[in-house]
Amino acid sequence: MSSGFGKPNEWRRSMALGGQMLTPAFLIVSAVAALGLILSLWREYAGLGAASGMNDGYSWGLYKNFNVTTLTALGSGGYALGMLVYVFDRRKYHVLMRTALLVSILSYSAGMVSLGVDVGRPWNFIWMGIPWVWNMDSVLFEVALCMTAYVMIALDLENLGPLLERLEGKQFPKLVNEMAHLAFRVVKAVYPFFVALAFILPSMHQSSLGSLMYQAGHRVHPVWQTPMLPLLYLLMAWVIGLAFVVVVLEASCAIWKLPMDWKLLSGIARISGFLGVAWFVIRLGEVWYRGVLGKAFQGDLFTGVFLAEMLMVLIPSVMLASPGISETPRKAFNLLMILCVGGMLYRYTPTTIAFMPGENYSYFPSVIEVLMSLGFIALAVIGYLYTVKRFPILPVPMQLYLRTAEPAVCVKEQIA
Amino acid sequence: MKPEKQDVQPEKQGVNRRGMFRILQAGAAAAVIVPKAQARVAEDQIRYAPKGAYAMLYDTTLCIGCKACVTACNEANQLRPDPGYSKYINNIYEAPPSLNSQTKNIIKLYKNKENTEWSFVKQQCMHCVDPSCVQACPLSALSKGAFGVVAWNGNQCIGCRCCQLACPFNIPKFEWTAVNPKIVKCEFCSHLLAVGKKPACTSVCPRGAVIFGTRDDLLAEAKKRIAGAPGKYFDNRVYGEKEGGGTQVLYLSHVPFTKIGLPELGEEANAAKVRTNSETIYQGGITPLVIYGALLGVTRYFFKEHVKEAEEESAQTGLKEQL
Repeated sequence: MSSGFGKPNEWRRSMALGGQMLTPAFLIVSAVAALGLILSLWREYAGLGAASGMNDGYSWGLYKNFNVTTLTALGSGGYALGMLVYVFDRRKYHVLMRTALLVSILSYSAGMVSLGVDVGRPWNFIWMGIPWVWNMDSVLFEVALCMTAYVMIALDLENLGPLLERLEGKQFPKLVNEMAHLAFRVVKAVYPFFVALAFILPSMHQSSLGSLMYQAGHRVHPVWQTPMLPLLYLLMAWVIGLAFVVVVLEASCAIWKLPMDWKLLSGIARISGFLGVAWFVIRLGEVWYRGVLGKAFQGDLFTGVFLAEMLMVLIPSVMLASPGISETPRKAFNLLMILCVGGMLYRYTPTTIAFMPGENYSYFPSVIEVLMSLGFIALAVIGYLYTVKRFPILPVPMQLYLRTAEPAVCVKEQIA
Repeated sequence: MKPEKQDVQPEKQGVNRRGMFRILQAGAAAAVIVPKAQARVAEDQIRYAPKGAYAMLYDTTLCIGCKACVTACNEANQLRPDPGYSKYINNIYEAPPSLNSQTKNIIKLYKNKENTEWSFVKQQCMHCVDPSCVQACPLSALSKGAFGVVAWNGNQCIGCRCCQLACPFNIPKFEWTAVNPKIVKCEFCSHLLAVGKKPACTSVCPRGAVIFGTRDDLLAEAKKRIAGAPGKYFDNRVYGEKEGGGTQVLYLSHVPFTKIGLPELGEEANAAKVRTNSETIYQGGITPLVIYGALLGVTRYFFKEHVKEAEEESAQTGLKEQL
């Protein structure tokens, strides 16, 4: 191979991994998902109270607060990375887009399943089709509309590429090939319109997830309750969305022994770190400006949570943003994990830990609730394991691609 | 097929002058979406009670805690009385500990642990002038109807429980064990009002501790009571006149309002704050459109660049371009 293909590790194309689908890990994850779905059926029969720790004080539990509010932030990589590539002209990161978009659609879809299980009277969703009952003042309505549109329109179209590429493979009939090719040309023509939609919709619903808690007014601890919640929530989605893309790609390289383009990935890790520092500064300034910084240091539970959030964002962010990190993928992985946990904690805290309905109400997720929540996450993991093996998603160097893959056809041979 | 590949032009990366301009554009657009922390409630977001709004006035100094109103409420609304914790332990029947899906109205006792201060308190929906639940409800299942009564329409409710999240008084309750769960809360006995009767709790109260009337009349009555006995009532204040943007259930109390579970809310309705915040960001939907337009312009430009590069590379390698 000539040097024209770039350095041995330089990611150039996405490739389907191929290989065995029913691995032990896949079966374990499937079992978790199956258990979650069976319990979901039971929840429909027994009611929400029996399936969760929710009550009239804490009316939202893991299904909304964790699987939707928290985990869609983690899955905001497709949105944040897309903005980097197409708005801020960092096109060298384009090769990561498919992974980011897959993570996004899976995390959002799992969130939508969770949301479907969480609502008490789902059949009334038909009213979503009747504009005059829409409550335009409702934050939740806006979240529901923008999230549904994002998953069902923008993300779907963005994720069509790998599917069409596979359908153009030689193992399919010629007619399928031709139709896939036609569809590809249509997708290519309308792509920027939907990509821009895939930027504006998450900007709206990720910030509105913050507004949801702004609605709770005095019942959210003053350190967290602020009109700036939308901005802080949005910014955090960028931070951990980008961080999680790097985490997923590093983990994938480790699991399937793929060459890693650390030069490229460390760039994303650094940007994530810079954004994390920016978030920290805005958050601290905001808490200080409202004069409630003292309330964060009264030596109670909230002090611990506040410190955990702030430090778990600040320390990894500063270390990731500093130049030395580019030599140590393993260290960066750990830092990114801490950053993700810190960011998720921030997104989760106003909804539950800092939410104080009073009247002796208390909430702790029940075992069934936790199992269901894990089941929905497992669904996303199944989706990831299946898709990266059957569709060209994960980025690989050009040599590896040419050595392993008949273009657009996944192969059975191991790629190592 | 192993096509030989020519050296590809190094990709043009980073930001040139035109790119910088585009970024600045996006930044300017983003500046619009940052809400102003100090602007709390816009003038046009303030709501006022409708003319002839129905109201209740509850006076802690008159209530004897007989709970006749609780029973009457259950009867009038066909709710089975909740036997409280006894249902779990097969004990002698007792009272429900708080409002729940079988209890729209409840009398509670406040007793101070340090001194002899005590008071009964009645809890039910406050029928806010600007209700957070109505603002929060995605499909308008909760609405503020005739005479300002906040009512629930089960046909439009998806059971998301956002009303419970948003209510500053912790009022709407949910049927946690039902297959077709309802949101349960006081609806001012609308079915009785429709036939010219008063809400059940107000018609049975033996002491007139809770009375029914229009909001204007009852505010005047409450102020008359305060003027007649200055210092008798906490803060010489009617709770609900201004608190949280005003409520249609008014309280007079001889103990601090926070002691009987009524939060100090300030004069602005939280719903109005939320609407102001959203409106500051969205500008009636203009902001998302403008930002979409800006993003579309930038995205189209860089997407074309990307496609050009991808097509060049595709021509060189013979591999299909990847969007």
